[in-house]
Amino acid sequence: MLLGKRLGVANNTASMVNDLLLCARDLTRFYHGRRVLHGIDLELKRGEVLGFLGPNGAGKSTTMNILSGVLAPHSGSISICGHDLSHAPELAKRHIGYLPEIPPLHLDATVDEYLLFCARLRGMQYEQAIAAVSKSKLECGLVAVGSRLIGNLSKGFKQRAGIAQALLHEPAVVILDEPTSGLDPNQIRAVRETIKALCEQHAVILSTHVLSEAQTLCSRVAILHRGRIAFNQRIDRDDHAMVVEFDTNEPSPDWTRIDGVRSGESLSNHRYLLRVDDFDVAANALTRFTLERNWILRELRRNTSPLEQVFVDLTCNDKNHFA
Amino acid sequence: MIKIIATREATSLFRSPLAWTLLAMAQFVFAFQFLAQIETYMHFAEKLRAMPESPGVTEVVVTPSLGVAAMLMLFFIPVTTMSSLSGERRNGTLMLLYSSPVTSWQIVAGKYAGILTVLAVLWIIVALMPLTLMWGAALDVGVYLSGLLALFLLMAAYAAVGLMFSAMFTQPAVAAIMSFGVLSGLWLIDWATPLGQDASFFAYLSSLNHFQRIARGLLNTSDLAYFGIIIALSIYLTAWRLDGDRKPL
Repeated sequence: MLLGKRLGVANNTASMVNDLLLCARDLTRFYHGRRVLHGIDLELKRGEVLGFLGPNGAGKSTTMNILSGVLAPHSGSISICGHDLSHAPELAKRHIGYLPEIPPLHLDATVDEYLLFCARLRGMQYEQAIAAVSKSKLECGLVAVGSRLIGNLSKGFKQRAGIAQALLHEPAVVILDEPTSGLDPNQIRAVRETIKALCEQHAVILSTHVLSEAQTLCSRVAILHRGRIAFNQRIDRDDHAMVVEFDTNEPSPDWTRIDGVRSGESLSNHRYLLRVDDFDVAANALTRFTLERNWILRELRRNTSPLEQVFVDLTCNDKNHFA
Repeated sequence: MIKIIATREATSLFRSPLAWTLLAMAQFVFAFQFLAQIETYMHFAEKLRAMPESPGVTEVVVTPSLGVAAMLMLFFIPVTTMSSLSGERRNGTLMLLYSSPVTSWQIVAGKYAGILTVLAVLWIIVALMPLTLMWGAALDVGVYLSGLLALFLLMAAYAAVGLMFSAMFTQPAVAAIMSFGVLSGLWLIDWATPLGQDASFFAYLSSLNHFQRIARGLLNTSDLAYFGIIIALSIYLTAWRLDGDRKPL
């Protein structure tokens, strides 16, 4: 019956739903008379990973709570897969997977029991739920700890159990509040891989304080500041600029003679920003170039898009921006 | 959905040492006073038998015992219910329920059903003990059964009140103290009635009065309605409180 409902919905709203999975309009929220969200607008399409950035207290968690139906906004509307979250919450919430800042775990239950409970809570039949649990355990690397009590697990496993819970029912919209906080570097990598794999079928919103994480994972970044969206843009990998630094006494070469490099400008002593046609071609040519001349290559990397600068500009000088 | 939440609630209660300790202590205290009642009955048995229309063992032993059990519930039930919702709120697991496709009503009904399941075990323990009298005495089955009904209604009402306070406070201990205070207040409120005056408003509020009437075998709608109203009102307020978490105030 459930499946029938889902299919029916998909047919009704046709292709529009397939693209636009989440659409939030003009969300506001007050806390004790203080306005914490000022008209947030967000849209999320299938395949998008939206990085949600902002200083602490900017309203990130509040927004995520509202998007996942934990909190209701004072005004504004949210539609998820074509279902209005306030008018048809039961239908809309089937398509949401949410990992709050503190993973909502049952410490007295085993991982298997917990995930089974979560699957059933999302309306799955028993057999379906069992299958979903083993699948998500596999995805999140929880197979080995399935029969252990969650309370006895390390923080990394707890976080993974929290993520597994959010992905269990294959929701269209996955909302993750700081999914990599408290994990060790290996676990962070594993979680990032999981998120990357997700974005083919789902739309993901993730909040983070790690700007490089947003840069590598997200196709779009929204910076929230004082309850407003101060920045909401696609971030593309800049393949046409690189930063290099050499250890040498010789003066800077004629950059245009190197394959793939169009121009160069000096950033500081022996540190240059190069405009290139293709990153890989230019990188190979530069490596050869330095070897031929016996220079030491200190640094060679893509010129990261100026996300950090944007972040600092928007959120540090707030007195100028939002006085 | 209600069943899933109820199962989780009941297993979670049985996983903690709390439910087991409660069951053990309730069993111990109830058995102790039950034996004491029998002692007293044995002591006065001769005199009682000499009386015309003498009260039987059910009236002298079983009904007062159930009354004591009802009083014990004042302590036990607030402790059973105290962390039902406040614990979830503290651990952040309430978020899991809120972000899942379940309504506040389903959450409350599930929690309540889970608690009632655990309390049913306690109720059965209490119910079984008077049956031992059947070896040596004639038990008035009607009075025994209505005594059990009275006890169950009382427990169900207490559980609903306990759940309500559990929804209102983040700290389980505060929830327990509040429900204990309110429940014992309801139990004793009758004392506010001036002596000799009957059927006052306070007398109707008193859970003791309603319990005793049903326990003595007098079933009437007014008493049944009393417990029904407490349960319905508490459940409604609990769901209202959970809705209040999400809805803008």
